[in-house]
Amino acid sequence: MVMHPANLDLVYFCLLGVLASGLVSFLPALHIYNVLGIFLLFVLKFEHAMTYMQLSSLAIGMIVGYSILNTVPSTYLGPGDESMSYYVLPGAQWMGQGKGYESIILTGIGALGGLILLAALAPVFLWILPGLKVITSPHMFWILGAVIAYMILSEWPKGVSQSRSTWANFFEGWGFLAVGLATFLLSGLLGFIVMAKTMVPLDFAFQSITPVFVGLFALPWLITNIINIGVIPKQHIATTLDLDWDLFVRGIFSGFLGGFFAAFIPIVTAGVGGLMAGHATAQRDTRLFVMSYGTCKTVYYVGSFFLFFIPGLSLTRGGLAWILMPMATTITLQEYAIFVGLMLFAAGVSFLLLGPFTQLCISLVERVDYHKVSIVTMIGLIPMTYIYTGFGGLMIMTVATGIGLLPVMFQARRMNLMGVLLLPVCLNMAGYGNDVLRLLGLL
Amino acid sequence: MKGFTHFVSGIAVATFFPQAVHMATQDSSFILCLGGVFGIMPDTLDFKFARYFHVSEFEVWPDPKKLDAHQIASTVAAALEKANESGRSSVQLHTMQLGANLWRSYTLWFDTKNNEVVVEMGPLVDTGTMPFIGTEVKENAISRVKVSSKFRQQFDKKSNIAIMSGPCFEFVRRGENDIEIVFLPWHRTWSHSLTLGLVTSLVVGAITYFTVPEGANALLYTIPRWMLYPLIIFCGSLVHIVEDSTGFMGNNLFYPFTPDRTNGLGWMSAAEGIPNFLFVWTAFMLIIWNLDRNRWMPDMNPSGIGSTESFFFWYLAVPIALMIFFFFKGKNERAEARAKKSADKKDIGDGKPDFDGETAVERETDASIL
Repeated sequence: MVMHPANLDLVYFCLLGVLASGLVSFLPALHIYNVLGIFLLFVLKFEHAMTYMQLSSLAIGMIVGYSILNTVPSTYLGPGDESMSYYVLPGAQWMGQGKGYESIILTGIGALGGLILLAALAPVFLWILPGLKVITSPHMFWILGAVIAYMILSEWPKGVSQSRSTWANFFEGWGFLAVGLATFLLSGLLGFIVMAKTMVPLDFAFQSITPVFVGLFALPWLITNIINIGVIPKQHIATTLDLDWDLFVRGIFSGFLGGFFAAFIPIVTAGVGGLMAGHATAQRDTRLFVMSYGTCKTVYYVGSFFLFFIPGLSLTRGGLAWILMPMATTITLQEYAIFVGLMLFAAGVSFLLLGPFTQLCISLVERVDYHKVSIVTMIGLIPMTYIYTGFGGLMIMTVATGIGLLPVMFQARRMNLMGVLLLPVCLNMAGYGNDVLRLLGLL
Repeated sequence: MKGFTHFVSGIAVATFFPQAVHMATQDSSFILCLGGVFGIMPDTLDFKFARYFHVSEFEVWPDPKKLDAHQIASTVAAALEKANESGRSSVQLHTMQLGANLWRSYTLWFDTKNNEVVVEMGPLVDTGTMPFIGTEVKENAISRVKVSSKFRQQFDKKSNIAIMSGPCFEFVRRGENDIEIVFLPWHRTWSHSLTLGLVTSLVVGAITYFTVPEGANALLYTIPRWMLYPLIIFCGSLVHIVEDSTGFMGNNLFYPFTPDRTNGLGWMSAAEGIPNFLFVWTAFMLIIWNLDRNRWMPDMNPSGIGSTESFFFWYLAVPIALMIFFFFKGKNERAEARAKKSADKKDIGDGKPDFDGETAVERETDASIL
């Protein structure tokens, strides 16, 4: 159906989307939806020249391409959001052992497997998701509350407990937990402030979250890179992978669960979904983790957009779906099938591009001083934030950077930074948002 | 079981109370989360509190500059001897941190056949326990210290002590010349008891009795609203204890009336993938079923589940049957592999223990694994 001559224009736009995502994903340390938002703003100038399906095909290519290719700059240059930072620690560990290429290809295999499973389940979704939506919709606020509770409760004390004093050991362990809790609450507070009284000019209101994400995730990572005296070791371009069917199936299954949970529940990201799915399936092997992460983040990014195209479901999740919503028409089963086909096509192309793309990135970081790359990226990010969000955005970014540095400095979970969205959205959904705003003097 | 399993199971139990589901949709109450919070609470109490307040009589502080396996083995053996004399003793083993991401590893094994404590110095490892090749210790690397009494342990794997905080063992004399080795003596004791669940619920019940007013439509329900809170808390902690009882380590159900924890049923290991997922999946399906059947005004709001029978067949019976099949298939394959391995060992006569027995995954000090 996809290859029918009448639909070849869609394939062309989808391919264009994948190629564009390759360029866009090289803009390091930026959140996907902000980058795609800017790109689509440019594309929408041609709205009258493009049909809705063509625009959707372009978006499919971009989201699939981005979700697969963005692992490369995130591994070597730093993560752009929480979904990426979840992977970055093991990814950086592999990179430190010269196995960055292997880890990226493993995530690529995971992503490909996840999208094939998503496509295979596409007919089943027509059957089960409307019912699931009916059941869960009135309960979303406490489901988010449960996610928050689990995130906080499942962070365990760290430390070596080698003091002869019981209390010294206790405070050592709880120091990490306290930082995690403080990170979550402070980022939640920032979230309330940004959502209630944004300092970003109205013209760029759609980018109001950009300085928050740049500050919370991108800049702390770049600062760490700059301070860190380590160098990237010679990267080995592996020709084979240590992977068996058992690992493949377990990785895809676990990653799919986490990714789909994150796609279905609003505000929950791939990092949070991946953590929960990893715990649900008792994941331990690092290869399994890296591969299932690839599945999880791709299924999260693509799946949240995919939900938008399920006929009769009317579920809008993720920034890209919201961007396209004003142009949306009723989606037919045929269009849904075309969407699934285009998704697989984009996944195949992106996977083929992944190897060369990684090698390109490796040659870049091997030739250019890693610290310089980080400094240049940071110097680029700050004026860019200023251009798109003004002085107010720069202020928000500065505060967010301070909060974002907390988990980096004290080895707490970066996932706690997602409090910036989880806490305000959860309380707003429950109807307590205004009470909190009144308490903070913001209303 | 993993924390997530307990957490989701706790929520699932809470959804069995129709009034709690109605409170969620009609009063924006987070009461269902309470089941999850108290579902994970026993492990929270252990790993965030109890572990710090357990005091061991013997502590092993290995010197990374002067590696001596004998010093470690003899301290552990001394603790065993002490237990043989006085009835009970414990030993805490510490790790050796050499840098931010560098540790010296060592292993401890209780050789029950020869009554020996065996310690072997291992290579340097990073925080991900990845060994650095070529860093193995050449001198004084292995030590065996004989103990005068016999000892036994439920777990069959040697302990690899490498990163963060090391394990703790308690030695309890059970009879003449018979010492039981208890792994992590502070874990799954008072926190995993019915007594604590009951006491917590009584305290919470006393508070909610005076503070929680009856909600709207009180006549619809048989349980008063104030009583929901302690009931959900009790059921949440109870489900944790029940789930943990299916593993090897067990619980101390009636602390302080019983002094020690009793062994679990040993059906499955706490950190195995399929059993955990079986519980998680079942809990999720029960949550969905309960949220649907306990929805507010069912005549006005359509059900999301067409046929209950079909739901139970396709979403519970079939997946559970598949998981049980794959669980036993994997178990049999592992048992065959172990049998083959031990037969090979007999052939070559290396006399080394099986370090990867089926209880291996419960032999962890890391809360994120347990």
